[in-house]
Amino acid sequence: MSLTDETAQPISRTGDGSTPVSDANDAWETVADFSIESRQGNERAAIQRVREGLAPLNLNARTLDNLSTAVGEATMNAMEHGNKYQEDLPVLVRVEQSHSAIRVSVRDQGEPTAEIEAEAPNLDLKLAGLQTPRGWGLFLIERMVDKVEVVDDHHGHTLHLIVYRRRDAP
Amino acid sequence: MKASPFDVSVRTHPGMAVLDLSGEIDSFAEKPLAHAYAEVEAADPRAVLLNFTDVAYINSTGIALIVGVLAKARTAQRQVFACGLSEHYVEIFNITRLADFMTLFPDEAAALSSAPSL
Repeated sequence: MSLTDETAQPISRTGDGSTPVSDANDAWETVADFSIESRQGNERAAIQRVREGLAPLNLNARTLDNLSTAVGEATMNAMEHGNKYQEDLPVLVRVEQSHSAIRVSVRDQGEPTAEIEAEAPNLDLKLAGLQTPRGWGLFLIERMVDKVEVVDDHHGHTLHLIVYRRRDAP
Repeated sequence: MKASPFDVSVRTHPGMAVLDLSGEIDSFAEKPLAHAYAEVEAADPRAVLLNFTDVAYINSTGIALIVGVLAKARTAQRQVFACGLSEHYVEIFNITRLADFMTLFPDEAAALSSAPSL
């Protein structure tokens, strides 16, 4: 897992709707596929559904908790920034596994978000009142999973959250 | 998933106020947390202990609310401690550097017995 600024992996971004890089050498099997309404607090339902889908995979508790936080934050961003909390615009969530990784894809129907380039949170600045207390979402996502890929197309914005299974080796 | 609404109550020990937090710390926690912290300010303790023992979930908005409490406390030169965080949220407090500004204890007893300078 990436836990610090030094080890956080950069977000890779595809702007042409092409297949994400994580597809390159893996065959993916879908283990859960669902949608939720864009309503405040609904990220908890997304987390629950993802955890249910992952239950048979026996991930360790830390991996599951970290992935849950990343899914929650990605879903919140999709509902708020992508779908503008329009309940008729669902957020689509797909959970897949391959021999080497788990991938959770969170898709909204909005324009590509500007938040991806947002200022990195700095607690010193926040405590000094020089930066808003908010803005932790992407920061947490990047540090909770091994890799984040963003795919934008004409119909929406998808965040792929990837955790490599070797991390769960005993 | 069954919702676990946020709740907060305030208790006082000599020199320290304890904020007992429970449920989910998200955007819905903003008003009750602000109200509870106003109660703390009225008591004017030297330190505040945030008790997370019964907290099930903290999202990025919840982190922002905790940053807000920390900022207010520091402005008033009040020490801030935290206890009862799960292993996962201890990790998040380290990642966000909240743990650099508030000492973390496993439980309230440890906080009360170990909190310096009270």
